[in-house]
Amino acid sequence: MNPERWQQISRIFKSAVSLDPEARNSYVAGQCGSDDSLRAEVEKLIASHQQASEQDFIGGMAAEAAAPLLIIEDEAGPPQRTLNNGQQFGSYVILDALGAGGMGEVYLARDTRLDRTVALKILPRDISTDNKRMQRFRQEAKVASSLNQPNILTVFEFGEVGGLTFLATEFVDGETLRDHLRRKKKLKLVDILDINIQVLAALDAAHEASIVHRDIKPENVMIRRRDHVVKVLDFGLAKVTEKRISNGGEESEAATAFKTAPGIIMGTINYMSPEQAQAGATDQRTDIWSTGVMLYEMVSGKMPFSGVTSSHTIVQILEKDPSPLSKDVPAELERIVLKAMAKDPDERYQTAKDMMIDLRRLKKKLEVQAEIDRTSSPSTERVAIVADRPPMVRGNKRLVFVLVTSMVLVTAAIFAVNIWRSSRQHPAVVTPVPASIEERTLTYWITVQKYKDGKPYQPPFPLAAEINFEASYQIRVHVSSPQTGHLYIFNEGPPTESKQTEFVVVFPSTTANNNSSLIDAGQVVQIPEKTWLEFDKQEGVETLWLVFSKDAVPELETARQYATPKTKNLISDAAQNRVVQNFLSTQSVSKPAYEKGKELSTLKIAGKLLVYPVKLEHH
Amino acid sequence: MTRPPQHDITQLLAEWRDGNQSALDELYPLVYDELHRLARRYMSRERKGHTLQTTALINEAYVRLVDQKNVHWANRSHFFAISAQIMRRILIDHARRNAYAKRGGGAQQVSLEEVAAITPNLSRELLRLDEALKSLAEMDPRRGQVVELRYFGGLNNEEIAGVLNISANTVTRDWNMARAWLYQQLSETTAN
Repeated sequence: MNPERWQQISRIFKSAVSLDPEARNSYVAGQCGSDDSLRAEVEKLIASHQQASEQDFIGGMAAEAAAPLLIIEDEAGPPQRTLNNGQQFGSYVILDALGAGGMGEVYLARDTRLDRTVALKILPRDISTDNKRMQRFRQEAKVASSLNQPNILTVFEFGEVGGLTFLATEFVDGETLRDHLRRKKKLKLVDILDINIQVLAALDAAHEASIVHRDIKPENVMIRRRDHVVKVLDFGLAKVTEKRISNGGEESEAATAFKTAPGIIMGTINYMSPEQAQAGATDQRTDIWSTGVMLYEMVSGKMPFSGVTSSHTIVQILEKDPSPLSKDVPAELERIVLKAMAKDPDERYQTAKDMMIDLRRLKKKLEVQAEIDRTSSPSTERVAIVADRPPMVRGNKRLVFVLVTSMVLVTAAIFAVNIWRSSRQHPAVVTPVPASIEERTLTYWITVQKYKDGKPYQPPFPLAAEINFEASYQIRVHVSSPQTGHLYIFNEGPPTESKQTEFVVVFPSTTANNNSSLIDAGQVVQIPEKTWLEFDKQEGVETLWLVFSKDAVPELETARQYATPKTKNLISDAAQNRVVQNFLSTQSVSKPAYEKGKELSTLKIAGKLLVYPVKLEHH
Repeated sequence: MTRPPQHDITQLLAEWRDGNQSALDELYPLVYDELHRLARRYMSRERKGHTLQTTALINEAYVRLVDQKNVHWANRSHFFAISAQIMRRILIDHARRNAYAKRGGGAQQVSLEEVAAITPNLSRELLRLDEALKSLAEMDPRRGQVVELRYFGGLNNEEIAGVLNISANTVTRDWNMARAWLYQQLSETTAN
């Protein structure tokens, strides 16, 4: 962008953002006159401004966000591995390293006796050589595991091989709540409630068995990718490591004793309860406190207690009332959070169950409210399956997608049938869309097949939305709408330096939907139809542009004629590529509302046209 | 590491303020070392908790490096300005080394610890931001500086206004525009 243009945009933007939304539109229109591209740029920037402030983009400080980089590099050095891939370890075969830290190293391993995949944690030697502590840990792990509660990570085995003490647990394919928060920036309130309800369900079961976790924090909560089931990790571990430090005598105050290997800060004291901070006697109510802190953080994006040094933080934990939550937060939620974080344990929720009940009630209330707000939208009931047609042939060396004509898997079909089945149980109620309200709705989901050493492993699973894919994953994208309309799907590769963007027409084509962009209500479009998408070696973001329109889009109809089997559906004409690019960039300015469900993502927009980029990042 | 004599830094700041650009070249490594050392210490056992407050850190560096008897107000804001630049470089250097470091191939599964939660994604995000900020600074140096001072230097709007000699309102407006533009650049290159 040249500086004059930038100044022009900046001048309009500056005044526009200070106006209220209605006045803003007419102001921008007036300032831009007939310069449509200027207007599009200003509007795009205003939209970005709103999103950036909503998400508090770069709102903190770089050093805060990047602090872990300083630790890992300077203090820890590269992670060390005790075991190598392929190595036999007792009855386990090591498949991969998953992580390392003060509580030991964690590996992905295969249990050869039962032929199942497990997470194998090797405890640091100095912990494992303390018999008394080990015994207690073993005891607690055993009890926690015997609870058999779906939100508690299952412990399979606790043992020793060649002087190394290990813990074999269920392997959860997912991410920690910490990573989840980092990635999502802002979670929906019902999702926040849902996660905390599951954490409390785990705690409830543990507390019933007189087990206190003592280290509830986002790092110890995992969210399974497949179904978003929450798993609480490390019951019984906190006490073992806590003890270890105070025995070591390195720290002056037990309260700050959350250390691991020399120099690495392991945990954080921000979730510690006042009684823990004072090194006093703790019981199950310490977990209620920590859950309250976590809930506060998830709702506000900030830690309730966070000082420059640990001593400052501890003073805050002991004395400071957390700052009030924002006005948009339901008063009931604030009440729940504050009750969980009462300084005096007697004033807190006395049991996890009580807090869980309150959160559940609130969640229900919000859902009912949302349902009332949504009554005008049509329901999706019928899902049909497109008959498989000959596989789409494409594969351009510049593009990341390469089609693999490997096995034909039936997952997608099974998945679709399941939807159909569940819909049969509830008789279809088709609410006609009032003619005056134009709306476009599109749903999509992604099926992932994981590969390991060139072979598929684990059954394919559906994802509601895109994640950062591993290079070895193969995927399929499924698109459907409850409405009839014209669907166009284009693939745009990662940006290249010099060359103009080229698009591949993914849908429709001579092999997809009989070369017609018109799809029926409920028709499921699967991409690719028979095979899978495989990522190229080059890392980057692959974009699948979804365009769903009530009427046929002339520009796109013309452009897609240039995509022929000969050119492997790649639009080879520069002018046509520009037409597509202009269309996508201008029309994607108005973003559809995005809603992520358990199994699929739903896009909705007022009007006749919906444009949405599905970003497929892989590394 | 030996600490440079205090008057040197004070002197260099004064020279730089008076327009001697080569003073900055001498100043840079001295401040870099001190900030880096402090940042590491902040992150190590002496400072628990999980945040790294840049302003506190830079303040501490300032007190350690600059001769307090000979303080000129402008020294402090100049010191903050270059410290912001240096903090940016320190963090970007780390991010660059980390971004492509092999982490056992299991970055998506996370376990029980903080350390495992650090994914190369964080580094890449930071590198992308740095790139975008460079482009911004080319088009609009002042807005680039506002972001640098606020995000990397930890300064608030009033402090930035003081350093750049503009009004706090202008800082707010600059920040809004710059942040929106950076957000746009980053969302165009990111999946999430």
